[in-house]
Amino acid sequence: MTGMPLLHKLQRLNWRPGSLGTRIAFVYALLFACAFGALVLIAAGGLTLYAERSISREMAANADVFEEVLKLRGNERMAQADVLSGDFGFRKAVALGDIPTIESALDSLKTRANVPYAFVVGVDGRFIGKVSDLRPADRRGLVAALDAGQTGGIITLADKSAGAVAAPIKLPDLAGWLVLGEPLSEKGLANLARLSAIPLESRITSLERLPRAVRGTTGSAPVEVKENGERILYRANPVASLGGDSKPVLLLRHSLTQALAQHRSIIWKLALLGLLGIAATIALSWIIARSITRPIATLSKAAKRVSEGHHAVVDVRSNDEVGRLATSFNRMIDAIEEREQRITHIALHDILTDLPNRKLFAEQLEATLARACDERHVAICYLDLDNFKAINDTVGNPIGDQVLKQVAQRLTAFMPEATVSRQGGDEFALMIPDIAADDDMLGHADRLFRCFEKPFVVDGQNFPVQSSIGIAFWPHDGRDAETLLKNADLALYRAKQEGKAGYQFFEQSMDDAARRRRQLEMDLRKAISEGAFELYFQPLYSLEKEQLSGFEALLRWQHPERGMVSPVEFIPLAEETGLIIPIGEWVMREACRQAAHWPGELRVAVNVSSVQFKSTNLQNAILQALSQSGLAPNRLEIEITESVFIADIDETLGLLHKLRSLGIRIALDDFGTGYSSLSYLRSFPFDKIKIDRSFVTDLASGPGASAIIRAIVTLAGALGMETLAEGVEQEEQIATLRQEGCQHVQGYWFSRPVPGAQVPALIAQFGGVAVDREDDRAEAA
Amino acid sequence: MNRTASILALILALAALFAVSAHAGDVATLKVVVKDNRGLPIQDAVVTVFPAKAAAPPTSFLWPSAMGQKDLSFVPGTLIVPKGTRVAFPNFDRVRHSIYSFSDAAKFEISLYGRDQTRSQGFPIAGNVALGCNIHDQMRGYIKVVDTPYAAKTDREGRVVLDGLPTGAVEVRIWHPAAMASKNEADHDTVLGAGLNSRAVVLPLRR
Repeated sequence: MTGMPLLHKLQRLNWRPGSLGTRIAFVYALLFACAFGALVLIAAGGLTLYAERSISREMAANADVFEEVLKLRGNERMAQADVLSGDFGFRKAVALGDIPTIESALDSLKTRANVPYAFVVGVDGRFIGKVSDLRPADRRGLVAALDAGQTGGIITLADKSAGAVAAPIKLPDLAGWLVLGEPLSEKGLANLARLSAIPLESRITSLERLPRAVRGTTGSAPVEVKENGERILYRANPVASLGGDSKPVLLLRHSLTQALAQHRSIIWKLALLGLLGIAATIALSWIIARSITRPIATLSKAAKRVSEGHHAVVDVRSNDEVGRLATSFNRMIDAIEEREQRITHIALHDILTDLPNRKLFAEQLEATLARACDERHVAICYLDLDNFKAINDTVGNPIGDQVLKQVAQRLTAFMPEATVSRQGGDEFALMIPDIAADDDMLGHADRLFRCFEKPFVVDGQNFPVQSSIGIAFWPHDGRDAETLLKNADLALYRAKQEGKAGYQFFEQSMDDAARRRRQLEMDLRKAISEGAFELYFQPLYSLEKEQLSGFEALLRWQHPERGMVSPVEFIPLAEETGLIIPIGEWVMREACRQAAHWPGELRVAVNVSSVQFKSTNLQNAILQALSQSGLAPNRLEIEITESVFIADIDETLGLLHKLRSLGIRIALDDFGTGYSSLSYLRSFPFDKIKIDRSFVTDLASGPGASAIIRAIVTLAGALGMETLAEGVEQEEQIATLRQEGCQHVQGYWFSRPVPGAQVPALIAQFGGVAVDREDDRAEAA
Repeated sequence: MNRTASILALILALAALFAVSAHAGDVATLKVVVKDNRGLPIQDAVVTVFPAKAAAPPTSFLWPSAMGQKDLSFVPGTLIVPKGTRVAFPNFDRVRHSIYSFSDAAKFEISLYGRDQTRSQGFPIAGNVALGCNIHDQMRGYIKVVDTPYAAKTDREGRVVLDGLPTGAVEVRIWHPAAMASKNEADHDTVLGAGLNSRAVVLPLRR
C-alpha cells in the first residue's frame, strides 16, 4: 500500500531506471560522491594522523615533564637531606653511632621537610631509622645502588612506589647515606597529569606489570593497544630505580578513542556535508537532466502519437538545439501529414478526373446510407458510355481522356447535388442523396440523361457520346450499399441490353434474371467439365442434285434438371462470359470427329461465333480438329454471321482468307437480317450464303419475299456463291426456291436436327450419298 | 732542613743497602705493585708487612710526622706514622682550618687556627684516621698509625719497595681509603724469600 503512492510519484516525475535523466543524475552523483568521499577520507585520515601525532608528541612531552618534575622534587628533597647530612653534629652522631640522636634528627627532618620516610644507610649496610616499610630485599638493593653511586630514584615503600634521594654522609670519608623517601601518591600523579594538555592517566609501575603490548617498548614512541574496544595509547618511560629489584616505569595512558571522538564529530560533520552535497548534486543534475530530457520526452511522446496516426505538435519554445529539433519535428509532421493527405487523395480519387474513385464512392455511400432516413431516398446511378472504346481506338487515348474529363465536368455541373465518381474506364457512378419520397424520379433521370444531349468538344472536334444509365434507389432496391450498387449495375446492364443510350430503373426481375444467368453460367462451366453437351445434326439438301450435301452441327445441352436447354438461351451467355471459346472448340472437334465417319463427301457445317474470331486460338483449334479427326478440310464448312466483321474487319478477313486457302469453306449465316452490308460480300468470296429463315417463312405471304430471294440468289450467283435457304417447312416453299434458283435448302420439311447416332439412318433415308468429286473440285477451285 | 733530611735519608739508604748485602741470606726485599680491578695503578695505598715474629715498632719513619694544609688540601694526603707519634698540623694556607677526626683510632677536633700556626695531636693507638676540615668539606687526609716498622705507601706507579724484611711467612696488608674491603684494608699472607720478592696485588676500589 505504501509502495504505490511512491511509485506513482516516481512515474509522475518520469523516473525510469534507464532514462537519460536518471543516468545523468546518477553519474553526477557518483562523481561527486567519489570526490567528496575521497576528500572526507583524506581529511579523516589527516585528522586522525594529526591527532595521533600530536597526542604522541604530547605524551612524549608529558613524559619529559614528569621526569623533570620528579627530578625537581628529588633535588628539593636532596637539598633538604643535604642540610642534615652535612650538619656536623649529625655527622658526629653518626660517627659516634649515637642512634637516639640520629633518630631524633631524622624525625625532626621528616617534620621539617614534610616527608614520611627518612633513614640512614651505612656503607656497611646498616640501617638507622624507621625502615620497616622497606623490604629486606629492597634494602640490599638500596645499599648496592647507593654503593654504585646512585643518588636518587624509585624505591618501594609499603608496597608503594616512592621517590627517594640519598645524600652522602661524609666523616669525611663516605660513611653512609641519608635517604629521604616520599611515596608518589595517586593524587600527586593526577596533579602532574593535570599539567598535560591532553587527558592523561599516569602511574608508576614496574616493567613486569606493564600490559604485554607495551613491554619492551619503553622509552620509544607510544604504543596503541585495544582495550575493551577502546584505542588506548601507552607510553612507558623507564625511571631510575633506587635498588628495587623491579624496574620502575612511568606509564602514561591516553584514550585515543576519546581523543578522536572530538575529531570524529568533525568527520561526521564532513560526512553530513558530503551527503547534503550528494543530495544537492542529485537534485541539481536531475533538474538539469530534466530540462534536457523533458523536451526529448515530449518529442518522443509526439512521435508516438504520430505513429499511432494522430496529429501532434510539439510545444517547445526554447531556442537551443532541442528547440530547433522540435521545430524540425513539427515541420516534418506537417510535411508527413500533407503527403499523407495527398496519398490518401490519390488513393481515393481518380487521377484523370479528380473525381472520387470506386473505393471512396463506396465509402461515401456507406456513410450516406448510415445517416439516411427512410422518408428520404438515395439514388445510385451507374453510367457506362456507349461505344467509348471506338473513340479511343479512332482518335487515341489522350483525346479519349479529354472527353472523359469533360464528361466528368458536365456530370458535376449538371448534378450539383450528387456525388459523382469515376468507377474506372468509361464508367461513372452518381449518388443523389436526400431525395424526397414523392420526388419525380424521372426528372432526375432525364436531367442526367440530358448531360449527353450535346456532343463533347475536344480540340474543336465534336464527340457525340451517349451513355447507358442504370438507376437503383435506397431503400427500395437494397438496404445496403453493396446490394444497391449491384442492382444499379444490373439496371445498367439492362439498359445496355435494351439498346443503349437510355436509362433503366432497377426492377426486381432484373435481379432474378441476373440470378438465373449466374446459375446458368455455373451450370455451363459444370457442363463443359462434365461433357454434358451433345451435337445434333440437321441435313442440308441440294436441290440441284436432289440429294444430301451435308449436315449443320447444332449444339444441344442436356441440363440435368431443366432438360434440353435452347442454344438461344445459353449461347449469348457463353459469348458474354467467354465460355464460348472452350465450347466452340469442343463443337469443332466433335463435329469433325463425327463427320469423318460419314460416307462420301458429306460436309459438316459448324457455327463459329464472333467471340471466337476475336480469340487468337481459333485457327489452331480448327486445324487441330481437322488433323485429329482426319477430316478433309473441304468437308468442313464454317458458318459465320455479319457480327464477326464488327470488331476488326482486316484481321477477320485475313483469318477467313487463311482458312479458305486451306480448303475450308466459309458460309455467311443469317443473311438478310442486320446490316447485310453488301460490302462484306464484295470484300470476301464466301462459298455460300445462307438466306435467313424469315424470308423463307414470308414466301407464303406474298410476292415480295420471293423477289428478295430471287435478288439474293441472283446476287450470289453473280459473285460465284452458293445459296441456301433456311427454315424450309413446306413443299410449296421448296418449289418456289427451286424456281428462284436457290441451290440448297434446310429445314423441318426434310428433317429436324437429329443426334449424331441417327445420321447414318437419315443418310440411308435420303438415298445414299452423292459422289461428285469433279463438281466439288471445280467448286473448290 | 729538607736538604739535610735528604742527605740523611741517602746516608741511611746506603747504610741499609750495605746491611742487606752484609746479611744476604736472611734479609728480604718486597716489591708490591698495587692496581685496582681495572688495572690502573693505585697511588698512596699503604702497604704494611707483619712478619710472623713481630718486630718492634719504630720510633719514627724516614719522613716527617707532619700533615700540613696547603692550597685547601692535606699535604701529604696520606701519612704513615708509628704508634704513639705526635703529628703536627702546620697551616700553610691563608685561610683557617678546623681539623677533625671521627675515626675510632683517634677522635679529636682542632678548632680553627690560622696561617703559620701549628697544632699537634698524638696518636697512641694503631689504626686508620680520616681527617676532615670542618669548613672545607672537600679536604681529606689520612693518617695510618702503624705498629710495624715495615710500612710504605705506593708511588704514582702503584709500586712500593720494602727492604730489610725477614724471610719467611709474612702478612702483607694493603690499605687505601677507597678500598672495597673491611676497614679498607686487604690482607695477603705470603712467604718471602731472600732477596727481592715481587708481588702484584689487585685492590678493588669504590668508585
